[in-house]
Amino acid sequence: MKAHFPCVSASTLMGAAVLAIGALAISPAVAQVKIGFQAPLTGPAATDGVSAKVASELAIERINAKGGILGQKAELVTYDDQAKTEDAVFTANKLVGQDGVKFAVSGSYSASGRAAAPIFQNAKVPFISAYGVHPDITRTGNYAFRTVHLGQPQGRAAAKFIGDNLGKKRISVISMDNDYGQATLEGFKSAVDQFGVKILGEYSYPLRDRQFGSIVASVKRDNPEAVYITGYFFTGGPLVTQLRAAGITVPIIGSQAFDAQKLIEIAGSAVEGVYIVGGLNRDPSNEELKTYLADFQKRAGYPGENVGATVYSAIVLMADAINRAGTLDPAKVRDALANTKDFPHLAGKLVSFNPLREINMPMNVNIVKDGQFRHFAWIDDLKLLAPPTE
Amino acid sequence: MYYVDLFLNGLIFGSMYALMAIGLTLVYGLLRILHISHAAVYALGAFITVIVANATGSIALGMLVAVVVSAIFGMGVYRVLYQPMLRYPPYVAMIASIGLLIFMEDAFRIIFGEQGLTFTRNPYPTQIHNLFGITINTVQIAMIVLSTICLVALALFTTRTRMGIAWRATVSNPTIATSFGVDAIKVRYLNFMIGSALAALAGGLIALLNNFVEPTMGFVVSYKALAIIVLGGLGSMRGTLIAALALGLVESFGTIWVGSYLDRDALAFLFLIIVLMVRPQGLTGAHA
Repeated sequence: MKAHFPCVSASTLMGAAVLAIGALAISPAVAQVKIGFQAPLTGPAATDGVSAKVASELAIERINAKGGILGQKAELVTYDDQAKTEDAVFTANKLVGQDGVKFAVSGSYSASGRAAAPIFQNAKVPFISAYGVHPDITRTGNYAFRTVHLGQPQGRAAAKFIGDNLGKKRISVISMDNDYGQATLEGFKSAVDQFGVKILGEYSYPLRDRQFGSIVASVKRDNPEAVYITGYFFTGGPLVTQLRAAGITVPIIGSQAFDAQKLIEIAGSAVEGVYIVGGLNRDPSNEELKTYLADFQKRAGYPGENVGATVYSAIVLMADAINRAGTLDPAKVRDALANTKDFPHLAGKLVSFNPLREINMPMNVNIVKDGQFRHFAWIDDLKLLAPPTE
Repeated sequence: MYYVDLFLNGLIFGSMYALMAIGLTLVYGLLRILHISHAAVYALGAFITVIVANATGSIALGMLVAVVVSAIFGMGVYRVLYQPMLRYPPYVAMIASIGLLIFMEDAFRIIFGEQGLTFTRNPYPTQIHNLFGITINTVQIAMIVLSTICLVALALFTTRTRMGIAWRATVSNPTIATSFGVDAIKVRYLNFMIGSALAALAGGLIALLNNFVEPTMGFVVSYKALAIIVLGGLGSMRGTLIAALALGLVESFGTIWVGSYLDRDALAFLFLIIVLMVRPQGLTGAHA
């Protein structure tokens, strides 16, 4: 018996080995590459958070439909950060510590992106802030990237569009008094001289304001050739309506965050002819965006806009970078991200990242026509649009 | 003409604040409760106006239903939320009221969606009229006319009718009024009914002007209305009216003169601080 024992043992071992190899062979099919994701799913920023979540799901489905990441299935680990710094820090730590994610995307506002970035940087987790526009996010370190234009290039593009494309030189400016509005305004003011644009009056309003009577009266007194507004669709809708209701008929140029179907729903005929610098190019030839918007509408029950499109692009870009790196090694993926060339971002061709990991990308200008956003022009002077490098 | 425009705008802002703040000051006068969730009633009025108007095609009907439903809702808030808490110090009810406001904001979000609602057909904000060189739209005219009618009617009711006088008596001294045979409970319901109806009207009018209602629309108004009732001398209707119009004017001119340094929403509190430094009893000093 004893003589036979080693023999049995050997065959058992072999059997175990076969099983183990079998398991290894199967495992790539069931293994998952986890991407951490933060978005304000509840609280005051939930409108954008819910859009971000829907977009993130569509992105993962697309990645998996196209073969996944390095042949493995992509999976999101999503947390609600309520757009609050403390929740962003808490959930970022959870993503890194508890869930062990090696890659992360923020579908949240600047404040949370800024709070979460150092945690991902310290853990050497490549991190993309999809649409958070605070400049400090990418300054955190070499693992932090951003896939949206900063406010300043947006403002410079608007100055060129108004002065060059439209040829309007005397204008009134109405800006929202948050980071995004003020950064855009700064960029705008830095470029007006270059395009011969003169600012007649400059007004600002708080984010929660919807009654713009005194600003409207002042714009009327300015009697400008055009009005430039920074704001969101929910401020822009009422503001454009109130400007038009006061008999102001000159062209109105809005900033990127005007680019939501709800703007047209709110302001109706008043918003006809309004230009949006930085809007999504909804030209029918833009197949990928068309598919995305159709899927988004189906899933969310309302039309998609910039926030979702940028989140979608950020997640697809992360998967693309991992595939290009050919490894899950975060350092190599970081390098692949930094070396991105001509990536098809839904908002346009992401030409490259600059040394501060900000995008070099042309900007689309839309016009509202017959109740729809239509492509009007490209601002593709990448030198003018250059984001800060330090 | 520019300053006339600004002045008119201030009065329009102010008239909406007045409709909103009257209910708040009435509740404070009667029960000494800061009825923060009054702002939720205002938002409720706005949502109902839009929903009913879109379903029936009649904005007037939408506003009417909003006013009636909100009035009933306001009485419900008293019955369900405040009445059981009257035996506790007023801050208990105030905390519950803040809770209700937050709850309602999220309820609006869940029920009506993240993005808010718009009227499917609302030509009024862009209907322009030229009156003596001033451009004004139909909704703004409606705001001035309706708020004037409501406030005059309220003034007549509280000075000329038996019920109104009993109400006023109860607000200024509940114990004595009750001993004269006034039904204090009935007065409380009346109070919530009228206050909530006015807030709903304001909500509906603002919804028309912006062609937009959103779950958080009550929030800003809630703290501005608080500033107004403090300015008005807490519990004084006349004071509240004056404070509301004054704040409207301060905001209208302030947006232009100091708007680049100071948020319009912050102006309310700067104004409050300055007034209280000079006149601690409020603008009219009705309740010293």
